[in-house]
Amino acid sequence: MLVAASVALGAQQPPVPNPAKNNPHLGNRESIRSGMTMYRVRCADCHGLDAKGYRGPDLTALLAGEMTDEKLFNTIRKGVPGTDMPASQASDDELLLTIAYLRNLTSTPTEPVSGNVENGARVFAAQCASCHRIGSRGGRIGPELTRIGTARSRSALIREIRTPSEWVAPGFETVTLVTKDGQRIRGTKKNEDVFSIQVMDQRERIQGYIKADLKDVIYEKESLMPVFTGERLNDRDLTDVVGYLTSLRGGDRASQ
Amino acid sequence: MRPWLLMLVVCGSAGLAAQAGGPQVTPQDLADGLKDPGKWLTYGGDYNGHRYSPLTQITPQNVSQLAAQWTFQTGTLGSFQTTPIVIDGVIYATGFNNNAWAIDARSGRVIWRYRRNLPEEMHLCCGAVNRGFGVLGDKLFMATIDAHLVSLDMKTGGVLWDVELADYKVGYSATVAPLVVKDKVIVGIAGAEFGIRGFIDAYDAQTGKRAWRFYTVASPDDPVGGKSWPPNSDAYSRGGGSIWVTGTYDPQQNRLYFGTGNPGPDYYSSAREGDNLYTASVVSLDADTGQRAWHYQFTPHDVHDWDSTQVPVLGELPINGQTRKVLMFANRNGFFYTLDRDTGKVIVAKPFVETTWAKEIGPDGRPQLLPGHLPDEDGTKTCPDLGGGTNFMSPSYDPNLHLFFVTARETCATYFAFEQKFRPGEQWESGGTSRPRDQKNFGALRAIDPITATIKWEFRYPSVSASGVLSTAAGIVFAGDGDGNVMAFESRSGRNLWHYQLGSSMRSTAGTTYMLDGRQYLLVPAGSTLTAFALPRP
Repeated sequence: MLVAASVALGAQQPPVPNPAKNNPHLGNRESIRSGMTMYRVRCADCHGLDAKGYRGPDLTALLAGEMTDEKLFNTIRKGVPGTDMPASQASDDELLLTIAYLRNLTSTPTEPVSGNVENGARVFAAQCASCHRIGSRGGRIGPELTRIGTARSRSALIREIRTPSEWVAPGFETVTLVTKDGQRIRGTKKNEDVFSIQVMDQRERIQGYIKADLKDVIYEKESLMPVFTGERLNDRDLTDVVGYLTSLRGGDRASQ
Repeated sequence: MRPWLLMLVVCGSAGLAAQAGGPQVTPQDLADGLKDPGKWLTYGGDYNGHRYSPLTQITPQNVSQLAAQWTFQTGTLGSFQTTPIVIDGVIYATGFNNNAWAIDARSGRVIWRYRRNLPEEMHLCCGAVNRGFGVLGDKLFMATIDAHLVSLDMKTGGVLWDVELADYKVGYSATVAPLVVKDKVIVGIAGAEFGIRGFIDAYDAQTGKRAWRFYTVASPDDPVGGKSWPPNSDAYSRGGGSIWVTGTYDPQQNRLYFGTGNPGPDYYSSAREGDNLYTASVVSLDADTGQRAWHYQFTPHDVHDWDSTQVPVLGELPINGQTRKVLMFANRNGFFYTLDRDTGKVIVAKPFVETTWAKEIGPDGRPQLLPGHLPDEDGTKTCPDLGGGTNFMSPSYDPNLHLFFVTARETCATYFAFEQKFRPGEQWESGGTSRPRDQKNFGALRAIDPITATIKWEFRYPSVSASGVLSTAAGIVFAGDGDGNVMAFESRSGRNLWHYQLGSSMRSTAGTTYMLDGRQYLLVPAGSTLTAFALPRP
């Protein structure tokens, strides 16, 4: 009986076909225009107006690779855990319009992982790992980078290494708290409201403070991450470390 | 024989109890507003929409001692946007998905619960929220997310009648707290993001029979509004004009005042040339017939989704040596207006947040538009964003200090528009918005002098807030930030006096205040909890 029941249940729930399998909007000029606006509203901030990547990855490159429309649909619908890419609440049709627009763009081949990844890993261990964590190793003052290869374009990584204060990820803004007895606590801001502030200090202590108990809260424009100029990190090492970072696409977490 | 006799006795006393044992809310009680300190009977506390309580037990001096007395948790998903009704020691609150409860105000314990059997597939822009009950006699009234109006028995939560307002399958829904006037229940419909035609309805409180309907989108044969839509077009039939925030009522004039929602589609407007009356307006209606007395349109031909569904606050102000009956309105478009309540003419109007789309409100009452703010495919940057300078969160008005308190939003957005085919039941906004890179939004509680439309003080929040405001005769303003704090301020100065972290931000309402067993309570809905605060027992 149990077996029969579960077979019957299975028969009642055929797998729902992926809406992108038959996308009526592909190649339709009106749809592509609508899709363009949806892209600009919902996607362009991270992936760039030209879809060549800003903070998020270069979509023209992804689409030139093995990315099918069904996979793209699922990625937009479900988001990418561990990255900034959220799950979309938009209707199926709006996702299909967006895909029709993206498919109409001139795609460019995927950038191969460039540089010497092994040297990149060495440079990372020496220069970055005290603040950034990959899997279960490394510091925690900066953002975790276990899946950074799926979340950042090459150009974004270069920009964020050379000019780290141009954009600071939410939760990593620099603050200095001055206590009433003059002690200074410098760290990254995790959260804040009118009356309190929560930080991780440079010794990785997470702690909340009541603002009324502090003498001052100083919001700093500069990231805690040092500026990696050419002198500090030469172009070859930069290429290698970026190559290493773009190869990080899941690591420990993906294999769990 | 004896058992039979006993039953007769029991029946007899039950009959007596039905007459004497429970509250019967009369139209006069509703008109009296907050005169009875044990009650909170309408959305805005009174018909004027003041959210101003005469209670003075909690003062600026002792408010810092306020402490939570109990917390009620819904046990369901979704957040409160309700203004709870309080009568005779019992709280009546509506929640997400039209769940509703009667709760013991002394303990926070449930007395009854109403669950609604909602359809699987509904078409909602903004969640299955609800803003509260209306009440008359021993009946409660709730608008439902599947576009019905339901009357519940105040004693049991049982359904007395249930009528359809419109067809939820094509995008109609209802979230507004009903306004009860005399023998009628006044509600409105939402769904302007789905190409609906908005309306305000009145229903007989006893039977649920519809008494009148006012369409917020004028049809071609309307001599005033008909020409504000394209000729020979059915654009008006999808013209939006949602009603999702409760209006106000002037018993002397017998007139209702309601703010109306955005025209549809929201952003792409080529197929709806014209002013698009009576969207993004305030309308003054006869309460008995629904006939329009006047209207004032804040945003003619709106293209930024700036519903005017804020509370039209009624008051009397000394202006140039005269006492004028006015209507005060902090609009989503970023301007604060004081209008003449008899005529709808602008007395004064000024921005209360950064506004980039209009230079000022001209002598003809129309905004003087600045170029470059029509959304298109490439995007145009405009302040405020689609959430507006303020929104559905209720303001409060202190009639003694002549101060209007409002949660303000300082925001900008890039607005996009594109042509989108209309299909019944599908979202039809024809555009959208994104936040410009490096745009730092923030919120503030602001006190506005409605005589001059100037800001008297502000208290800034690090992020935007959608909390309503409540003020009291003791000189306190209660409000919420976007980070979960309920706070008290000194009305005159904006000085912060108290705060408590609720764990979720307040939305729409700032809660209600009432007396129970000699103590003044502050009841605050936030997230899926209600928390009751009071001073320590003496």
